[in-house]
Amino acid sequence: MIMQNSTNIIKFVLDDKIVELNLSNHPQFKPTTTILNYLRSLPNHKGVKEGCAEGDCGACTVVLGELNENNKISYKSVTSCIVFLPLIHGKQLITVENIAQIKDGKTILHPIQQAIIETNGSQCGYCTPGIIMSLFALYKNFNNPSLEIVEDALTGNLCRCTGYKPVIDAASNACTKNGIDHFTEKEPEIIKLLESINSNKQPISIISKHQKYFRPLTLKQALILKEKYPSAILINGASDIAIKQTKNKELLTEIIDISNIEELKYFSEDNNYFYFGTGLTLEKLKAISKNNLPPLYNILKIFGSLQIRNTATIGGNIGSASPISDLLPLLFTYKSKIKLKSSKNERTIKISEFIKGYRSTDIHTNEIITEVIIPKPQKGVIINSYKISKRKDLDISTVSAAFRIEFDKNKIIKDIILVFGGMAETTKRATKTENFLLNKNWNRQNVEQAMNIIYNEFKPISDARAEADSRKIACKNLLLKFWLDI
Amino acid sequence: MKNLAHDSIIKHVTGESVYVNDIQVNSQLLYGRIVYSKFAHAKIISYDLSKAKRFPGVHAVLDFKDIPGKNQIGPVVKDEFCLAENEVNFIGQAMFLIAAENEEIAIEAEKLIEIKYEELEPILDIETAIKKNNLLAPPRKIECGNFEKAFISSKNQIKGKLRTGSQEHWYLETQSCLVIPGEDNELIIYSSTQHPSETQSVVAEVLGINKNDIEVEVRRLGGAFGGKETQANHYAAWAALLAKATNRPVKIHLSRDDDQITTGKRHRFLSTYKVGFTDEGIINALQVELNCDAGSSNDLTLAILSRAMFHVDNCYFIPNLKVTGKAWKTNLPSNTAFRGFGAPQAMAVIETIIDKIARYLKKDPAKIRYNNFYKLNSNNITHYGEIVENNRLFKLYDQLIKSSDYFKRRKKINKFNSENEFYKKGLALTPVKFGISFTTSFLNQAGALVNIYKDGTVLVNHGGIEMGQGLNTKILQVASSELGISIDKIKSSPTNTSKVPNTSATAASTGCDLNGMAVKNAIEKLKSRITKVVIEEFNKKFEGKPSENKNIIFKNNEISDITNYNKKISFDEIIKKSYLKQISLSATGFYKTPGIYFDRKKAKGRPFYYYAFGMSVSEVLLDILTGHHEIIRTDILHDAGDSINPQIDIGQIEGGFIQGVGWCTTEDMKWDKKGNLLNHSPDTYKIPTVRDIPKDFRVELLKGVPNPNTIKKSKAIGEPPFMFCFSVWLAIKDAISAVNNHKTEPDFSLPATNEVILQAIEKMRKV
Repeated sequence: MIMQNSTNIIKFVLDDKIVELNLSNHPQFKPTTTILNYLRSLPNHKGVKEGCAEGDCGACTVVLGELNENNKISYKSVTSCIVFLPLIHGKQLITVENIAQIKDGKTILHPIQQAIIETNGSQCGYCTPGIIMSLFALYKNFNNPSLEIVEDALTGNLCRCTGYKPVIDAASNACTKNGIDHFTEKEPEIIKLLESINSNKQPISIISKHQKYFRPLTLKQALILKEKYPSAILINGASDIAIKQTKNKELLTEIIDISNIEELKYFSEDNNYFYFGTGLTLEKLKAISKNNLPPLYNILKIFGSLQIRNTATIGGNIGSASPISDLLPLLFTYKSKIKLKSSKNERTIKISEFIKGYRSTDIHTNEIITEVIIPKPQKGVIINSYKISKRKDLDISTVSAAFRIEFDKNKIIKDIILVFGGMAETTKRATKTENFLLNKNWNRQNVEQAMNIIYNEFKPISDARAEADSRKIACKNLLLKFWLDI
Repeated sequence: MKNLAHDSIIKHVTGESVYVNDIQVNSQLLYGRIVYSKFAHAKIISYDLSKAKRFPGVHAVLDFKDIPGKNQIGPVVKDEFCLAENEVNFIGQAMFLIAAENEEIAIEAEKLIEIKYEELEPILDIETAIKKNNLLAPPRKIECGNFEKAFISSKNQIKGKLRTGSQEHWYLETQSCLVIPGEDNELIIYSSTQHPSETQSVVAEVLGINKNDIEVEVRRLGGAFGGKETQANHYAAWAALLAKATNRPVKIHLSRDDDQITTGKRHRFLSTYKVGFTDEGIINALQVELNCDAGSSNDLTLAILSRAMFHVDNCYFIPNLKVTGKAWKTNLPSNTAFRGFGAPQAMAVIETIIDKIARYLKKDPAKIRYNNFYKLNSNNITHYGEIVENNRLFKLYDQLIKSSDYFKRRKKINKFNSENEFYKKGLALTPVKFGISFTTSFLNQAGALVNIYKDGTVLVNHGGIEMGQGLNTKILQVASSELGISIDKIKSSPTNTSKVPNTSATAASTGCDLNGMAVKNAIEKLKSRITKVVIEEFNKKFEGKPSENKNIIFKNNEISDITNYNKKISFDEIIKKSYLKQISLSATGFYKTPGIYFDRKKAKGRPFYYYAFGMSVSEVLLDILTGHHEIIRTDILHDAGDSINPQIDIGQIEGGFIQGVGWCTTEDMKWDKKGNLLNHSPDTYKIPTVRDIPKDFRVELLKGVPNPNTIKKSKAIGEPPFMFCFSVWLAIKDAISAVNNHKTEPDFSLPATNEVILQAIEKMRKV
C-alpha cells in the first residue's frame, strides 16, 4: 500500500453543508467528472452554465472558498468546466444559487447582484451566473478596486450581449464594502465545517474498473506512485489536461493529482537564486514576481484569465512544453534550471535542455518537476518579455518572445539571448541573429540588420492563429521593440 | 418612456432563469446526437448502422430512410436535406441521428458507424465558386440613373475590391432543443429558436404530421443574433425524429465546438467597385458587385443579399448607382442571418470608398461623408426608389462633431503622429442609416393574445422571442401604459405557437415594432369592451350628463372620466364586474406594417417603413510593431425615436457596437484545404473581452425625435448599432495610413486582425 490510510471519499462544503461523495463506485461520478457536470446533475444548481468546456468563456465560473494560513477563507474564482471533482476536496464550493441570502423565506440580493440589476448588466442572462461569481470573488477580495483589477477579474468571462460596460460599472459600484456580506456572517460556521474535513488529512485513492486516481499528500508518496504507474498523467490544476476529457472525450485511465502536496507550493530565495515550487499557481507566481521579476509579472498579467491562473501551475506549464508557451521563452532568458525528482534520484538541468521538441521534454516516466530555479539577474542584465496575440487577453500567443541582453562598458553587446515561442515546433533561440549581434553596438542600424536576419531564421507554420509571414514580421518587429524599450 | 431593468434580470443574477438545457425532464429523457459529415464534399458509397444500433444503451439510430415525412429542412427554398442521402456537401452536414441513454454511450455508438465515402473536390471560397460559375441563384440588380455615362464623365475615378470576413454568432447558449412526445402525434417542443412558427412548420413537414399537433414553446434564448432564426429548426426536427422513433423525450444540446463547426455564420463577401466623384468628393457614379458566400444551400441568403443591396448607399445620395448581387454556393455550412443581415457587408464597401476618396483628395473623410449625405428635401431618393424621410443625419452630425470634439482631436492626432514613429493614432466618423422592416413585405405581421384574469392580473402573449434584447420588458411597458395599470400586475408568458399562431421570426430588429403594436391592438379591443361596462357603471351611479367613450381613460390602476374625476373605478373592480356581466376578458391582437412593398422585377418600391439613424466617432492607438490596437475613445449618438426604455436601448447600442468591433478586428476564421474550420472554439476564435472595449465609451440617444406611427413613437434598435463598428475599423486604417503620412492607401480588409495590420504596415514601409 503506497498511500496508507487513504480514502475514496471526497468531502466539500456546498450549500453550507458537508457533502461526501464516494467516487469508487458512484453510478454517476468519476474522479474526472468536472465540477460543472456534478453541479448540473443536481436539481438546484443549474445556474452554472457550460459555454465552451475549455475554460475560455467563464459561463461556468464558480468560487472556491479555501482555508488560508490566517484561518480565514480565501475566495477564488475557477472555471468549473475544467476542474475535476477531487480538486475541491476540503473546500467550500460556492455557486450562483448561494450568492443571495434567503432570510425568513425572503431573498435578499447580494450587493453584486443588486449592482448588475441597477446597471442593466445582463441581457440574455446566459453568461450572467459566471459573471456574478467572478464579481463575487472580486467583492470578497478587493475594496474599491482599480479598473485594472476589475478588468482582470472579468477577462475570463465572455459576454456577447452587453459590451461589458454595465458590468464594469456594476463592479465598481458594488465593491465598496470591504467584502462584507452574509458570507462574512457565516464564515465562522463554514470554517468549522472546513476544519472538520481538513483535520484528518488523508490521501485520496479512487480505483474503479477503468480508472485509477491518486491524490497523495506528500511528494514521497507521489514519487512512489509515479514509479509504480509510469504512464500515469500528472495533474495539478489540470487546466490543460482536463480538456482531453471535456472536449476530446478521452478517458484518463491513470492519474496522479499532486495539487494537494503542500511541499510543492513554496517560494524562497537566497543571494543568487529564486526558488519556486512547481505547485505554485500562476496567480501566486504573479504576486511573487511583481517585485522580484517584473518581466515575468508582465507576461502573467495577460496569461489566460484569473480563473485559469487560480488553478494552473508553473509546473504544469513547463511540463506541457507547448511550442507557444508564454513562460518558456522567459525562463530560457533567465537561464533557469529545473529540479526533477524520482523516488531514487534528483537532478537539476537547464530548462533549455529540458525542452526537447514539440510538446516533448527530457522528463523520465518516474520523475516529477519539483522546482524552478531562476538565477537573480545580475546588474546590467536586461530582460524583457513580449507577446503578440490576436486578442490582447485570454489568448494564446501568435508569437511570444523573451530577450536578454548585457553590454560591456563600451555599450558593446557581450551577451544576448533571443528566445521565441510560436516560431518553431518548440521554444527556440534565434542563434544566428544572436551571433550577428554579439560584440556589436546596440544601435538601430545593427538592430535593423538583425531584423533581416531573424526574418529568415525561422520557418513558422500557418495555422488557426496566424499566417507564417505575419509571424515572421512580428518576430522581427519585436526585436526593434526591444531596442526601443531599453 | 422610462428605464426599467430587464424583466428577467433578478432570475439572471440568481441563476434561476431556465433555458432549454435546464428544463427538468423525467428519467425517460434520452440524449440526442447528430452524426455529421467529416468531408466537405463526398459521395456516400455505403454505411452500416447495425453495430451502433446494437450497442447497449442506444435506443435509435436513424438515417434518411427513417424520415416519415419530407426529407427537407430548407426554410425558404427546399434545398436542404434533413439527413444526407447520397452525397454530403459540407463538414457538419447531418447524416444520422442517435438517441442514447447518455452522451458517452452515443459517442461510443457513433464510433461503430462505418461509412464509405468517395471524396469529391470541394469549393471552399468565393473565388473558386466564381471560377466554376457555381451560382446559387440568378444575379440580382438594382439601378438608378446611368452609371456608365456618369462614371466616364467623372473627373476622378477609383476602382477597388474589398473582402469582409465571416463571423460566428457566439451566442452563449449553443443550439438546444427538447422534444416531449404526447398522445397521438402530439409533440411539445422546447426550442431555443427565434422563429417558433417555422420550427413548428419544419418539424411538421419532416414528420409528416399536422401543425396543430405541434406546440413550440420558447421562454428565452441565451443569445441568438440571427443564428437561431432558421438554424434552430434543424435541431428541433432532429430531436423530434428521435422522440418519435423512441417515444421518449429527447434533448439535443450542442457542444461549443459542434455548434461552431456545423452551423452557418455571417456571409463572407468579396465586393468590387468603381466610383466616380468630383473634386469635392461628391459621388456621381457608383457600381458595386456584391459576391457572397452562401455556403451549401439557400437558407436566408437571398434575403440577406437583398438587404445588402439596399444598404450599399448607406447614408449617401448617389444619383447613378448600379449594384449587382451574386450568391455563390460553396461546400461550407449554409451561412445565415446575423445582426445586420447583409447590410454591414455592403456598408463596409461604401465606407471604404468614402475613406479612399478622402485620402485621394487629401480631405477629411468626415467632410466627404457630410457632403454626400442624403439631403432633407431634395436628393433624398434611394437607388431603389424610397424617399429618405425624417432624415436625422444633419442633426446627428452637427451634434456629434461638437460633442466628440472631432476636428480639434484630428489636429492633436496629426501632431501625435508626426512626433511618434512607432505609435500612430487614427480617428474616424461613420454614419448609419438602416432600413426597418422585413424586406419580404408579407413577413411584417404579428399577433398577440392578452388575457385579463378575474383578479385583475394580466397575461400578455405575443409572437416575439425574448433573446436578451429586452423585448418582453418593452412589451410589459407598452401593456402597462395602455392598460394604465402597474407593471407588477402584468406578466409576459413564454412564446407559444398554441397561443399566437403563424408568427414571423423575431428578427430584422422589428420585434417590438410589430409585437408591441399587436399587443396594443389586443388591449384596445379589451379596453373598448371594458369601457362599455365602465360607462354603464358611471351612468348608473352618477346623475347628469352621461359619460362618453372618448372621455374614459385608463390610468393609475383606475378607469376614470376626464370630464369628472369623481367618476372613477379601480381596474380590479371593473374586471370583476365585467366578468359578472359576461364580457370576454381575452382578446387577440394583430398588426401589419402599412404601406410597404417592393417590386422585385422593377427593383423599386418602399421596402422599409422607416430608417434608423446614428453616428459614431472612434479614436484608436496603434502599436506599429505588434499590430495591437486600443480603442481610446468612442462616441455614439443614436436615433431611437422616443425610446420606450433608454437603458435597454443603450444596452443594445453598446452590445451591438462591441459585437461589430469583434467582427472588424479579432474575429477571424480560417479553413484548411479540406474545408475544416480551424477556429471552432474560443481557444482560437476571439470575440471581444472586457479589455477590448473603448477606454472612454460615450453613448447617447438623440433627443426630441419621435418616430411617427410606431409603437410609442419609438424606433427599432437591435441591428443598426452593429454598424458603428466601422468607426473603429476605419480609425485603425487611418492610423496605418499615418505610417506613410497618408500618402498611400493601405492594404486593408475586414477583419483588421493584428496580422492584417502588420502586413499592411510592412507593405507601406517598403513603398
